Amino acid sequence: MSKRNKILLGLAGVYFIGITVIIAIFGFTRRDNEEFAPQNEFKTDPWIDLPGPLDFNKAVMYLLIAGILTVLSMVYIANRMQARPNRVQTAVETLFALMRDNITHGNMDDKMARKWFPFIGTLFLFIWFSNLIGYIPLPTNTEHPIHIGGLEIPAFAIYAATANISVPLVLALVVFIAYNFEGIRVKGLRGYLASLIPQGITGFARVPIFALEFLSNFMRLLSLSVRLFANILAGHLIILFMSGGLAVLLGLEVLGVFTLPFGVALFLFEVGLVATLQAFIFATLSAIYLGGAVAESH
Amino acid sequence: MLDLLLPLITTVFAQADAGADAGRAIALGVGGGLGAVGAGVGIGIIFGKVIESVTRQPEMRDEITSIQWLGFALTEACFFYGLVAGLIAFFL
Repeated sequence: MSKRNKILLGLAGVYFIGITVIIAIFGFTRRDNEEFAPQNEFKTDPWIDLPGPLDFNKAVMYLLIAGILTVLSMVYIANRMQARPNRVQTAVETLFALMRDNITHGNMDDKMARKWFPFIGTLFLFIWFSNLIGYIPLPTNTEHPIHIGGLEIPAFAIYAATANISVPLVLALVVFIAYNFEGIRVKGLRGYLASLIPQGITGFARVPIFALEFLSNFMRLLSLSVRLFANILAGHLIILFMSGGLAVLLGLEVLGVFTLPFGVALFLFEVGLVATLQAFIFATLSAIYLGGAVAESH
Repeated sequence: MLDLLLPLITTVFAQADAGADAGRAIALGVGGGLGAVGAGVGIGIIFGKVIESVTRQPEMRDEITSIQWLGFALTEACFFYGLVAGLIAFFL
C-alpha cells in the first residue's frame, strides 16, 4: 500500500472512530440551543460611534484592510519590477495579463479599453482581496469575547466586507453610473436611449421592447450586487454551519465531527474557486456593460 | 363574553404563529432546494457542452475555459438568489 493510501485510510479511520466515540460519550439526543443565533455572525456592531451612519464596525475594518492591501501590494511590486522576474512578479504579471487582455480588451474596443483598464483592474483586485481576507480568521467577534487574564479579546471569526449587501451595491452603483454616463457622452441622450432597442425591431414592437430593455438596465444593478453578496454570504454561512455551527445550533455533538470534513472541503472550494471567480465575474460584467454602452450596434 | 373570547383569540393567534414558522421553513426549503435543482441542471449542461466543444476543437480550449467560468458563475448565482430569499424569509 502506498504512503498516500495509508494516510487516507488513517484519516477515514479517525473519522469513523471519532463519530463512534462521540456517540458513545454524548449519546444521540437533540437539545436545541435557543441562544445561538447564526445571523448574528453577520451583524455589524458599531465599535466606534460616529455621527450618522459613519460608525466604525468590522465591515469598515475589512474594507480598509482590503483597500490598503490592494494599493500597497501592487505599488510595492510595481516599484521593484525586474527584467528577470521572481515568482511573485510572474504571478502578478499573469494577473495583469488576465485583467488587461481577457477582461478589458476582450469586451471593449481599444480606445475604451485604454481608458477604463485602470478602473476595471482596480475593481477586480479590490473585490479579490476583500473576498480573500474574508477567509482569514481575524479577531472581530466582539459578541463572544475571550477573557485572558482580565483582558477582553474578541474571538477569532471570519467575515468579509463583500458579505454585506451595501459594499457590492456601492460598487455596482459606481459601475452603473459609469456605463450610463459613458453611453450618453458618446451617443447623446437620445442616441443612447435609442440604442437600447436591439437592431431589426421596427414599428410598434419597439415600445414594449424599449420598456423591457430600460428596466433590464436597473436589473443589472440588482443582479451585479446580489450575485457577489449572495455568493460570499452563502459561502460563509455554509462554512459556519459545516464546521460546528450546526452542532451548536441543534446541540447534537456528533454532528460536529460528522460535518467537519465537509467544512474543510467547502472552505478550500470557496478560497480556491469562488473568491477569485466572483471577482473575475464582477470585473468581466462591468467591462461588458461599459463596452456595450458605447458599441455601435446593440 | 370577553372571558370566553380571550382564550379563543390566543389559541387562534398561537396557531397563526406556528403557521408562520412553518411557512418560513418552507420558504427556506423551497428557496434552497428547488433553486439548487435548476442551477444544478444548468451547471451540468454548461460543463457537458464544454467537454463536447473541447473534444471537438482542442485548440479552442483557452477561449472556451474563460467563457465556461463566466457561464458557471452566472448560473450558480441563480441558486443563491433563491437561497438568499429563503434566508431572508427565515431569519428576518
